Parts: sequence; C-alpha cells; structure tokens
Amino acid sequence: MSSVAPEPVVDETVVDDGSAHRESIWAKTVYKLRRDRLGMVGLSVVLLYFIVAIGVWLGIWATEWGDVEGPKWAPMSAEYWFGTNIIGQDVFARAIYSTKTAFEVGLVVAVLSTIIGALLGALAGFFSGTWIDEIILWLKGVLDSIPFYLFVAAVAFALSGNPYAMHIAMVSTFWTTTGRLVRGEVIKLKNFEFVEAARAIGVPQVVIIFRHILPNTFHILLVQATIVFVAAIKSEVILSFLGLGVQDGVSWGLMIAESTQEVLAGFFNNFVWASVFLFGLVMAFNMFSDALQDALDPRKVASE
Amino acid sequence: MEVLQYAIRKLLGGIPLVLGVTFISFLLMVYFGPDKTYELLGKNPTQEQIDEIRHELGYDKPFMVRYGEYLKQMATLDFGASDSTGEPVSKVLARTVPISLALITPGFILGNVLGILLALIAAYHRSGPIDKYIMGFSVVGMSISFLIVVIAFQIIFSSSYGLNAFPVRGWNVHSFSDYLRYITVPTLATIFVALGYNTRFYRAVLVEEMTRDHVRTAKAFGTRPGKLLYKNILKNSMIPIITRIMFSIPLVVVSGSLIIESYFGIPGIGKVTYDAITTGDQPILKAVVGLTAVLFVITLLITDILYRVVDPRVSLK
Repeated sequence: MSSVAPEPVVDETVVDDGSAHRESIWAKTVYKLRRDRLGMVGLSVVLLYFIVAIGVWLGIWATEWGDVEGPKWAPMSAEYWFGTNIIGQDVFARAIYSTKTAFEVGLVVAVLSTIIGALLGALAGFFSGTWIDEIILWLKGVLDSIPFYLFVAAVAFALSGNPYAMHIAMVSTFWTTTGRLVRGEVIKLKNFEFVEAARAIGVPQVVIIFRHILPNTFHILLVQATIVFVAAIKSEVILSFLGLGVQDGVSWGLMIAESTQEVLAGFFNNFVWASVFLFGLVMAFNMFSDALQDALDPRKVASE
Repeated sequence: MEVLQYAIRKLLGGIPLVLGVTFISFLLMVYFGPDKTYELLGKNPTQEQIDEIRHELGYDKPFMVRYGEYLKQMATLDFGASDSTGEPVSKVLARTVPISLALITPGFILGNVLGILLALIAAYHRSGPIDKYIMGFSVVGMSISFLIVVIAFQIIFSSSYGLNAFPVRGWNVHSFSDYLRYITVPTLATIFVALGYNTRFYRAVLVEEMTRDHVRTAKAFGTRPGKLLYKNILKNSMIPIITRIMFSIPLVVVSGSLIIESYFGIPGIGKVTYDAITTGDQPILKAVVGLTAVLFVITLLITDILYRVVDPRVSLK
C-alpha cells in the first residue's frame, strides 16, 4: 500500500506506535483503525460473513438451500434451525446461501462503480472547465435526475430478464457520487508541485492522471466503495421486493419479499432471519466504514 | 429583475438536462421497452396484420424520428391517454399526485425537522453520552432496510399480532380522521428511516460550523446556548441543509413513495409509474419522466434563489 505515488500531505507529525521509520498515511490509517474498537468489531463481523460467503461459493455449506423436503412452515427445531418456508425449504440454509448473493451484488457493484467513478471523476477534474468536464457533469446530472427505482425498472425491462440488469442499473447510477468527490479532489491535486514537476519533466498527461494523481484519491475511493457496497445490498432488498432483483438463486431480499405474504398469517421465520442477517452485515459494514473515514481523514466529523 | 433574468438563464441552461433525461428514458422505456405488438393482435396473426400494427404504433420508423415525436409530445404537453385504462394522462396525474403528496409530505417534513433537532442536540453535546446515543441510534436506523421497517411497523401497528389499530392496506379516505388513520403507519416508517440518514448528515454539518472561530468568539462573549445554536450555528449551516432538502424533493415525489405505495396498496403516482413501466404504458411514462426532469431543473433554480435568501453574499451570476 505504501508504494502509491508521492504523498501531497506535508507537515505530518509522526505518531509514535513503537516503529521508528517515517510513516505513510496507510500505516497511520491501519494504526488508527486498530485502536477503533467499534470499527474492528465491524470489520471482524464483515470478515465472518465473508468466510460464510466463500464457504457457500466453494459449496461447503448451505448446498441444500433449494431442496424442497421439509414440512410446510415448520417451526424452529433442531433439524430446521430457523424453520421452513411455505414450500418446506430450510430457512437457515437459504439465509446462509444469501450471504453469497449479498457479497456478489455488493462487490460487483462497489468495484465497478468505484472504477467508473474514479475514471470519469479524474478526467472531469483534470480537464475541469473544458468540454470533457461539461459532458461528464451533464451525464451525472441526467443520471441523478431519473428516479432510481424507475431507472432500474426501465433497465430491467429493456434488458428483458438479463440477470445482471439490477447490477447494471446500480453501477450506472452509483458512480456519480464517487465521481463528484474524485473530481473535486483532482481539481485540488492538479495544482500541487508534484504534478507540476511531473509535467515539467515531460510526463504524458495520461500518466500524470492515472499514475500520479489518481492514486492520491485512493482514500476517497476506499470509503466510497464501502458506502456503495452497503447501498447495493440495501437496494437489492427493495428491488427483489419489486420483482426486479436477483433472478436466480436466493437473497435476503427475495426472502423478505416472500415473507410479505406470510407475516400477516403469523409466520415470521423468513422475515426475521433474513432481516437479522441483512441488518448484521449492513450494520457491521457501516461501523467499519465510519472507522475507516475517521482513520483516513482526521477532519471528518462522522463520529468523533 | 436580476432574479428574473437569472431564472430565465437558469431554465434555459436546464434544457440539456431535460433532453438527456428524455433521451435516456426514451431509449430505455420506449425503444428497448416492452413491445406491444402482440398484445393488440388476435391469435395467429398474418404478417400483414403484424406490419400494420407495428406501423400504427410507429415501430417501423427510424430511431431519430420516433425520438423527435416523443419530444414533440413532451413539449406540447400532449400525452394522450393511458394505454392500459384509456384514461387521459392528465386525469391520471390529477388523481394520483395529490394522494402521493398527501401520503409523503408529513413524513418528509417531520423526518427533516426531527433530524435537525436531534442533530442540534447531538452536536451540542458533542462526544458526550447523549451524542453517542443519538449517533448510535442513527447508525442503526441507517442499517435497517426500509422494507424491513415497513413490514415490522405493519406487524406492530396493523396486525392482530400487534396493536391492530390501523388499516393494513388500501386508501379509503373520506375524512380527515380517515386520512390520519391511513397515513400513520407509512409516515412512522418514513420518519424512522429518514431519521438515521438525516441526523447523521445534519450533525456533521452542524459540528463543522461549531468548530469555526466565530462560534468560539460568541461563546466567549457569553451567548446563551439556545441563541448560539440557533443564530450562530443553525443559520450559518442553512446552505447544506437547504441543498439536501431541496434535492430530495423531486425524487421523493416520484420514487420515494413507490415502496410505500406498492406495499400499502395506495394508488399514488409511484405505483402508477411502476405499473406503467412493467406494462409498457408509454403515455404515462413520458409524462412522469418528462415532468420529473422539469421538476429537477426548477428545483435547481429555487435552490439557488434560496441560497441567496439565506446568504446575501451569494451572487446570482
């Protein structure tokens, strides 16, 4: 991590954590993160979920999520830990399997929208005031003024049942905030001496943008990625309820959508357990994201 | 006069945005949208019948011509009648928009006002236990899915497993007390979810203002806490607060109520639009998307003028 381009941050007082060498912003971030108890709890929980997701992906557990063998709406028991649903599927297996779905949606959307936001934001910022900037800002304005759920619905129907319609719609709208933040930071960075120096020795523009400037916005990208991850998982729930979400497999959103038919009849297993799993992951991610923001940006006042 | 000139320039500047939104909506909802040919045909249609229907629907015209027609209808506000019910689009809007507004307004206002109040309390007790409780509550609020809140509140307030005090779904409003009965549960759910995000955002804004020198000076002069919070902190934080509130208005009007409307079976504009997308009811889509884009441009304009109102140093250039 410490191999990123020269740090524009000057006049840093070295935090004494026992190591003598000059510290990069990343070493300091890790140091601050490790002292943030809530943040570390959040990170551990996220990692736990991640291990569960990897296990599902490797086919180690929850392979029976689709099997229809139990009795209908069985209560919680030793055999069916969280009971069964309307057609006798094991709610526990489905909740575990959904962890993989959540990470799939969250990671795909977070990574892609961060990359797009970084690229477009860097271009807009570096060429601020030119037509390139104008076009990117216009695109951002347009995407921001279409109501999100309607946009997703439109994309889903335009792609007629493509299982990635939801991902595509989320990526195409979620990059805008990242893009705006990166643009602002790049406008600030491009006047720093290290950029001037690179220009003076004839480094090509593309290299300046992507090798010298963009790595210095990495702290923004990291925080934004965590925020988008959470937003993607939460949107998936709503979209699945509207019938626009996950098409194959199962997700917490689908389980909750399924439960809307049964809660009024008194069957709460689907609803409660999908909600608990979802809440746990989102809450942990939010806590980690907060800690990361505090550690990366001392001026941030999110939770001092 | 200056404001009027500014308004006209700003509205003209909004044209590319409206064009962009209509273009994307045309591309997604009409060009690649649901094909209605076979719905209008009988069984075993001949090729001529298919061609005839496609011609009637305009499917055989080139892309730009179709987009041009779409824009022309938008510009002349001639949206025609809904494909699925035959009701004129203007009537559909006149019927559903007031319901959506009546449904969403109380929750929207309370969510923001309570958010600012909680944020003021938290910011005032910064780093103290009260602040920690409020911020903890707000992270929890941020972490619960809106859908879960809606379902949970319905169980708690409207089902026989809870209070069973409010109607489960529907919209059968004839008097003010009916109105209150139908909006209570949706409004509580809206406030609960909005509070998490709002409190956090407003607290960050207020805390930033609190660390400014002028606040310290005012404190040193012995300004009372209430006056300090209102006059020195809140009033100086109005720009980000206005930005947030104004920018959520266009989205709240259309899609903010979609989930509530479909879950509680309330015939508002969000539900109608959603149904229009799934059935390919283009006249309604055109109207809604076009109007939302225009609403956005107007909101941008009003926001800028409001900036000027709260901070005379802002110039409308």
